[in-house]
Amino acid sequence: MTTLTRQDLNFGQVVADILCEFLEVAIHLILYVREVYPSGIFQKRKKYNVPVQMSCHPELNQYIHDTLHCVKPLIEKNDAEKVVVVIMDKEHHPVERFVFEISQPPLLSIRHPRPTPIRIPSDTLLSHVEQLLRAVILKISVCDAVLENNPPGCTFTVLVHTREAATRNMEKVQVIKDFPWIVADEQEVHMQEPRLIPLKTMTSDIVKMQLYVEERAQKAS
Amino acid sequence: MDDLYLDNIDEFVNDQNKIVTYKWLSLTLGVHVNLAKQMLYHYLDQKRKEGSARLHATYLVSGKFVENGTTSHKVSVVREDQLEDAKSKMSLTVSVHVYSVQKAVLKDSGPLYSADYDAVKENLRNCSRYSAIRCADAVPRSSAEVLQACETTQAPPPETEQIKANHSNLASKPTSKQPKGIMGMFANKNVSKNQDSSKEIKLEQKDDAPVVETSKTKPAAKTNPVSNFFGKQAAKKPDKSIKEEVEIARTSSSVVEKPSSPPPKAETPVKEELAKDAVVEKDIRSKTKRLEHSDSEEEKSESRRMKRRRIKKPEPDSSDDEVIPDSPPRLQEKRDPSPIPEIQVKKEPVAVSHSDELSDCKRRKRRRVLKSCTFVDDEGCIVTEKGYESESYSETEDDFKVSKPTPKNPNPPKPSTGKKEEEKKKKAAAASNKSTKQASITGFFQKK
Repeated sequence: MTTLTRQDLNFGQVVADILCEFLEVAIHLILYVREVYPSGIFQKRKKYNVPVQMSCHPELNQYIHDTLHCVKPLIEKNDAEKVVVVIMDKEHHPVERFVFEISQPPLLSIRHPRPTPIRIPSDTLLSHVEQLLRAVILKISVCDAVLENNPPGCTFTVLVHTREAATRNMEKVQVIKDFPWIVADEQEVHMQEPRLIPLKTMTSDIVKMQLYVEERAQKAS
Repeated sequence: MDDLYLDNIDEFVNDQNKIVTYKWLSLTLGVHVNLAKQMLYHYLDQKRKEGSARLHATYLVSGKFVENGTTSHKVSVVREDQLEDAKSKMSLTVSVHVYSVQKAVLKDSGPLYSADYDAVKENLRNCSRYSAIRCADAVPRSSAEVLQACETTQAPPPETEQIKANHSNLASKPTSKQPKGIMGMFANKNVSKNQDSSKEIKLEQKDDAPVVETSKTKPAAKTNPVSNFFGKQAAKKPDKSIKEEVEIARTSSSVVEKPSSPPPKAETPVKEELAKDAVVEKDIRSKTKRLEHSDSEEEKSESRRMKRRRIKKPEPDSSDDEVIPDSPPRLQEKRDPSPIPEIQVKKEPVAVSHSDELSDCKRRKRRRVLKSCTFVDDEGCIVTEKGYESESYSETEDDFKVSKPTPKNPNPPKPSTGKKEEEKKKKAAAASNKSTKQASITGFFQKK
């Protein structure tokens, strides 16, 4: 979380906060739109001044929340290259992969020994970012125009592709107790005969994000 | 009219996969809305005749509707498959027209709003340029008039409110306040500015509430600068605005800090004033583990409040509907050295949305609020129920929406067994997540 002291105000943290909030909304929306869970558990909420669907189920919410909580330090350090929401069928073969490719301009990375100089995001910048995120959310809402229906009984998981060896640190330090991260299986990561469908690209001063979907050519198992 | 517009619409719908509403089309092409509606209709008609693309449309149906003996004029946006049904329910159908055309099947109406949002925002000043609804008296107020209106209806401080009233973009408001808030906190120039900034910071606290704080140790280290801030505040004449608010962010922020965080070292007498109010706080339901009020609750709430100041979230909106306490004015109020007569007992949390109209009336009323609560029933299933509950509130608070359901599950082992039983009964195939933590979703559902 961002703290307020002049010395520590860290742009990387601000970006990570924005992105993690956005990813939470996006994951809930993907679960709703792709019908991974029955629509009854979702309720309409407001984010970025537009209605979005969020789930009410406490354990699901907690799971997503904890997942992103662990991802946040990676984003802060610009170690997370991609965050992938994988939807798998009953046999745990991926049918769809929603890939959020994230990159931050190197100037803002906090790899430097000292935190970067204070650059408080201006309100126009943030409102511009909000506008872009709104557009991404809208694109997710209509993505089932370009995707085929999933077979019933799907589950989901979240994978993070990191740069270099950032995961080694993650395994050593459990950010949240009893919420370990493990290296993903090969079968979860790679999909047979994927079809690539780009959804949205967003470029702003503080973050660049690309969202595309890899879809298996034949979904019915 | 030439047929170029058909190609335009085709490009929007098929190539860009947009939701094309008539309003968006009229603003984009610069045509009257009725013309835009006709364009959409022709496009839809042509495509259907060609039989090429699978398009979906929504319609706006308006007319007289009789319900329980009362007649009303009902306007609704319906999907194509519900169109005939909606028309038949109306006693008199006044108008039916195409609302939007898109490729995707829309499961709910949310994206329809988002589709227009940017276009309408850009044209906010003249959004009725192409509209068919006209009223000669409907003219936007000038800033002076808005200012005047605010001053007459609201008690001081008016600054925050009028700034907010003048902004059209709600989302940017809290964000815009923050830079000033940070600077104002440490600049320490004058009373009003500090009060403003503290209010702004406080208003932001609501956003932090649901997010778990990672840097738990940081707040403890930062007590000194903040306590200096408090010390300086004590010297100034406190603002007597008596806005009542519910101390939800306090308990929500209790997630962030454990009770063991030490109180700030430089305890000025001001802090004791602040702490007085903590005693009357009730336990409030919140999503997170609640701190039990103990003997040191004064200090705890004190340090919590202190820490709440420091937590800052740049995001304007929180998707969780959290309570937004009007803590800055409250803080001002408590700094009044004289005993505070109207410390009202704080009731159950009220979810406050982000609409930034702060009306400054000082009465407390009761009203009915739609709240949802999650509990485990006899069979061991988690049930979320939404019900109206009577709530005490002050008119100074913002309008609010439904609060987030309290996802506290008092008996974690029980639901898992309950769910397994449910699984056999239910036909729903939603399997559990791979993670060991997540239990089956089917147990969540009661027979609805």
